[in-house]
Amino acid sequence: MKLNDYTKSREAFARAKRVIPSGIYGHQGPAEGCFIPTDAFPYFSLRAQGSYFWDADGNRFIDYMCAYGPNILGYNDPDVDEAARKQRELGDCITAPSERMIEFAELLVDTVASADWAFFAKNGNDATTGAILCARAYTHRKKIVFFRGYYHGVSPWTQKVDYPGIIEEDVCNNICIPWNDVNALHTVFEENKGQIAAIIGQPYLHGNFADNELPAPGFWQEVRRLCTENDTVLIVDDVRAGFRLDLAGSDHYFGFEADLICFCKALANGYNVSALCGKEFLKNTMSSLSYTGSYWLSAVPFAAGIACIEKMKRLDLACVLQEKGQRLCDGLVFAAGKYGFDLRVSGIPSLFYLRRADDPTLMLHQEWISECVRRGVYFTNHHNHFINAALSDEDIRETIEVAEEAFRVVRERHS
Amino acid sequence: MTDTRTLSYINLHAILGSLPMLCALDSRAGEILGKKRMTVGISVSGGSAAPGAAGILSFENGRCTYTECAPGSPDVGDAKIVLTFPTPEKFNGMIDGTVTPIPKKGLLRAGFLTGPFTRLTDLLTAYLRPKDEDLADPAFFRISTMLMFHVIARSVCCIGNEDAVGRASASYIPDGAVLLAAGNEISFAVRAENHRLSLSPDPTEETITAEMRFADLLTARALFDGKINSVASVGDGLISIRGMIPQVDNINRILDRVALYLA
Repeated sequence: MKLNDYTKSREAFARAKRVIPSGIYGHQGPAEGCFIPTDAFPYFSLRAQGSYFWDADGNRFIDYMCAYGPNILGYNDPDVDEAARKQRELGDCITAPSERMIEFAELLVDTVASADWAFFAKNGNDATTGAILCARAYTHRKKIVFFRGYYHGVSPWTQKVDYPGIIEEDVCNNICIPWNDVNALHTVFEENKGQIAAIIGQPYLHGNFADNELPAPGFWQEVRRLCTENDTVLIVDDVRAGFRLDLAGSDHYFGFEADLICFCKALANGYNVSALCGKEFLKNTMSSLSYTGSYWLSAVPFAAGIACIEKMKRLDLACVLQEKGQRLCDGLVFAAGKYGFDLRVSGIPSLFYLRRADDPTLMLHQEWISECVRRGVYFTNHHNHFINAALSDEDIRETIEVAEEAFRVVRERHS
Repeated sequence: MTDTRTLSYINLHAILGSLPMLCALDSRAGEILGKKRMTVGISVSGGSAAPGAAGILSFENGRCTYTECAPGSPDVGDAKIVLTFPTPEKFNGMIDGTVTPIPKKGLLRAGFLTGPFTRLTDLLTAYLRPKDEDLADPAFFRISTMLMFHVIARSVCCIGNEDAVGRASASYIPDGAVLLAAGNEISFAVRAENHRLSLSPDPTEETITAEMRFADLLTARALFDGKINSVASVGDGLISIRGMIPQVDNINRILDRVALYLA
């Protein structure tokens, strides 16, 4: 198989480093993105279509990161793009918001089981931060309970005391408990009676570097019960998993109702919008917040979001993605077994997480991932992956073929 | 942002704890010490609520060894010269040169402290706080950077164990051994066990679970001096990471605090 060359990506990175902090910052950069080793990974893209992207050197990748989630229907989906184009001709960022905003909110209220209203912003972090503000404003309490291994964005309240730029006061009201630990949950309520504004959690634990963990039977229901009993707001951060488990919300998938639920990523197939949806009793509080942004009410992403949700409904997309993900993961596990490797898949198949169980250092896993990327299958080392609707049977077949070749290379190197 | 007790651990275990390496790298250190045999025990009180740092420096035939001791260890009292400090501030003052220690034991041997020991620590200071013109000499640069690397690796352990924010970082480090290396010139292994950090006496004996490797000593020096950033350097391949990344990631967060303490 041909191995990729990244000369142009590296030239672009040298340029980028001169004018951009760390060249590419954040999760899409080589450090935070865990490009291990870095020379296996492309740094910059040229274009994308369907389930593929092409890097700066023209290498094509079957993309299992989907821009870290937003690409759910396939890059450049014609229906979403057409809706966006039509709205762009009418106007996008205008002094008075477009009525697309109302239509989008109505559609979300109609689609998301726990939603009585929708509030729009740009990034997932805007939605989660809005949820925390709302919970604190409603309860007049300070403390927030998190589940260990959480990720809810990058605002100071989401970070940890040892992160650069974070001061103790930013996080001194954060309480962290283990996932799926009902006893810890009871203890935290007992020890902080009348002080907990909110519990915030992703629908299941999709932290990095460890197998993703689904909720234990009855866990969310107990969280819900305790929140109700203690007048604590229950926030579900569905930014990452939203619409890949259940179009009605991941709380619906797991059989409970959140008070506030946050969406972004897959909401508009790559158009820039996020949404915080909530229960009626929190609507007045949300109205009272001083919380807005220059582009939050832009009309084009609303039009794209409407088209995206309508198409996801038509396709029964969550089921389609889970079926594709399951087929892919079964193939990967089988390919690993041929070469004596124990590949574990965790999480929901449409958001699968991969780990080599026979390698506690993760180094062999990193070698295997790098050999896949060099051959045009874009996996990442320690983050869950994403399935999109454009992923074809042929893509899945090619991916398994590349994965098997990569396993063979790693096996030969370590035999 | 920093605390004097953690600084006293760094000053003892990392700074004075680098004297053995100095003796191994620069023959002038051996000449200063001559064939003299001496042991110096140092014990620092951490205050009423916290343990303090303790260790023993042993000198013999121009060589030196350093042994970290448990807080309040009676072994310290067996040394020929014993220095005890009622507070971390007093000990840090000795390192800064603002406090003159009076031995609790071995007063008649105090000449070792004012003579060879002081000349040895002056030599160490020349390497750890180098002048730009000295760094232009490749041999000096090499020794200075290797010593600095050692101080930093040991400081990571001190901060991860003693500093409140450092302990928060260490609480996220899974058990294992993290190799910190500069090219093939020098390497250290930081061991993590139940979120307590220690420097391995021999990295080659460790089962390495993660690695942070600087391309060479130049890269290491540039990072230590704050001239390059670790995140940016991963992108251009000057720093490579692999293995159990939460170990590397959280050690990197502690490294940020090392700069605060050593400033």
